[in-house]
Amino acid sequence: MELLLDFVIVGVSIGIVYGLVALGISLIFSGLDIVHFAHGEFYMIGSFLGIAVILFTGAPYFWALIGAMIISGVLGVVVERVFYRRLTRGGGGYTVAGMGMIICGFGMSVALQNVAYLLWGAAPHPYPVGFGMPIFLGNIALPKSYFYILICALVLMTVLHTFLTRTKLGLAVRAVAYNKDTSYLMGVNVPVMISLIFGVACAMAAAAGVLIGPINYVQIEMGYLMLLKAFAAAVVGGFGSLPGALLGGIVVGLFETLCAGYLIASYKDIYAFLLLIVVLMVRPTGLLGILVKVKA
Amino acid sequence: MNRHLPKKTGHGVRNALAACAAASMLAVSGAASAGVIKVGVSLRMKTETGEKYGQMVVDEFEAINAAGGINGHTFEVKLLNDECKSDIGVANATKFAYQDNVHLFIGSSCSSVSLPIVDVLHKAGVPMLIPHSTNYKITLKGSPWVYRVPISSRFSAAAAAKYTAENIGTKIAYIWASDAASQADAQKFFEYIETFHGEGPVYAEQFQEGELDLRAHLLKIKAMKPEALMISAQSQDFARGLVQSYEVGIPPSVKRIGGSAASNRPAPILSGDAIKGVFFHAAFSYADPDPKVAEFVKMTAERYGVANPDHDFSQAWDSVHVARIAIEGAELTLTDDSLAADRAAIRDALGSVTGYVTLGGGVVDFCADATPECRDGNKTPVLIEYTKGGEDYEIRVIGKTTFGADFGLASMAEEAEKLRESLDN
Repeated sequence: MELLLDFVIVGVSIGIVYGLVALGISLIFSGLDIVHFAHGEFYMIGSFLGIAVILFTGAPYFWALIGAMIISGVLGVVVERVFYRRLTRGGGGYTVAGMGMIICGFGMSVALQNVAYLLWGAAPHPYPVGFGMPIFLGNIALPKSYFYILICALVLMTVLHTFLTRTKLGLAVRAVAYNKDTSYLMGVNVPVMISLIFGVACAMAAAAGVLIGPINYVQIEMGYLMLLKAFAAAVVGGFGSLPGALLGGIVVGLFETLCAGYLIASYKDIYAFLLLIVVLMVRPTGLLGILVKVKA
Repeated sequence: MNRHLPKKTGHGVRNALAACAAASMLAVSGAASAGVIKVGVSLRMKTETGEKYGQMVVDEFEAINAAGGINGHTFEVKLLNDECKSDIGVANATKFAYQDNVHLFIGSSCSSVSLPIVDVLHKAGVPMLIPHSTNYKITLKGSPWVYRVPISSRFSAAAAAKYTAENIGTKIAYIWASDAASQADAQKFFEYIETFHGEGPVYAEQFQEGELDLRAHLLKIKAMKPEALMISAQSQDFARGLVQSYEVGIPPSVKRIGGSAASNRPAPILSGDAIKGVFFHAAFSYADPDPKVAEFVKMTAERYGVANPDHDFSQAWDSVHVARIAIEGAELTLTDDSLAADRAAIRDALGSVTGYVTLGGGVVDFCADATPECRDGNKTPVLIEYTKGGEDYEIRVIGKTTFGADFGLASMAEEAEKLRESLDN
């Protein structure tokens, strides 16, 4: 029983991180109808930015999290405006330019990795924070960093949910996600909303990067596997569904950890993708997904 | 080229140009071979530390050149980064062997890279001097072209296993990364415990290199309550596993043990305080009171800004000087036509290097037979414990032990046969 609880704690903690990255992927998909393949790199850069904030300003970990989110959010807006936006100029909007944007995302992923290499090098970097020894409840270890992950994820989700459902700006974002043409006609500044979606999504990825930093070292190749896992989480939860992304993340994290715990631990990564395949076969819309519909 | 000269050009000018071209071609051809010993070096230089010991190899050869070279010959060194990736290492070795026509290859840092390079250089007939790779299979292949300065895992893992069994216990859990050196370290460690103490591993699983989350393994290990935990992996994977072992609640009383890569500089830097008390086997300790070591440490601090060099530094330095000693005794012609003969002469000269005392205190003794007994030069692993982690980490030497040249080979006869067959195919 204790071992099961240990596995659940580890599974939920890593699952929440998958969920945060998946949240950004789903947000971009819901707004732009594309899968953003450079999202893993925003997670990586966010993690590096967290270290930079701590080292250059001496700020505590919480402010490093906020700082990395703000800088990554702005970077996301810049990338969207400067690179992705150009692809829509040929007409047809984001939906028509989707394939070009997906390919551009791959290119952006390589470019951002190389920029990170130039800035921080190939060596892994330890996070300059210490949480000390875990809290023990009998034999069960509860690392303090997991509490931080849980609390921060809940706060971020609540803030995002409140923003999307209780503010006019959030309403505009949801309108753009639902139908861009109608949103234009209703006077919504669609390009600004799309930039906002990109910025928020990249800030979420950065938050995940900063939260995972103290558990894993930060290095330029860290985004690739996280992107795949977050993609699996987004699909399992229901592509385009924001609560589904977080739920999918937790389900993927729990499933892979429990399988690794009770089956063969060396195949841990395979279990997540097995789950992805099963979900696609049995329930293609994911746990909280809705049937795919044609959007403008 | 002369065909394109304007017709107005006189015969005298044309002849002079042709003579100049011929003379310059002769000069280039002569400079490329006579008196120049070409050395190809391929190392893991993914990090600043790797770049520094790579540069140190080049600098040491240049210092030999500056002092007049060897028997009037000078070295021309080409340094390439293989990033610890076997495909890049093989490409580097192929280029050195067939395009650059090197007389000697020094490399690689990683066993996964050195293993396939052995086959390439064996076929090309290029002597290979290994500075860092420890996997026992490298020399077990039986290539006459291969010599190893570092300590084979059949010695070093056994030394660590012996110490563990005698001082800590035999109930040990193992996790190791998929790279060749880490596999061999763990395998030879638990083989020793099984053979000499009759205790099988409490837990033994492999994980992928670069695996971010080892907590599933570690939670299972925690439930099994071992006396010791061996994490055999390259420095960053080792550090990650070490930190996560505390995170999941494996108590500090469970002794943590590293493989040879635990000695690499990034390991204590990444691990921080978690590395305190961890012991590992290596070929060198900068904390050794030997004046030769102090001088070496002073040199690395002054030239490369590294005040606590690891055994990758010391073995790179040792490799250059083993090569120097060998070449001093080699009869080299160094013309284009003598390439094969020069390579064979360096190979044979390496086989005659004996009694070279490494910075770590081990003695490199090579001999001519293409056997591990002759080609695993250093047989003296050092057991080292970290007493402090972080950038300014500290270590202490637990002990040294020297093995007989044939130690551990009796049980490897079948494996050796298979490896030799694969080399010849």
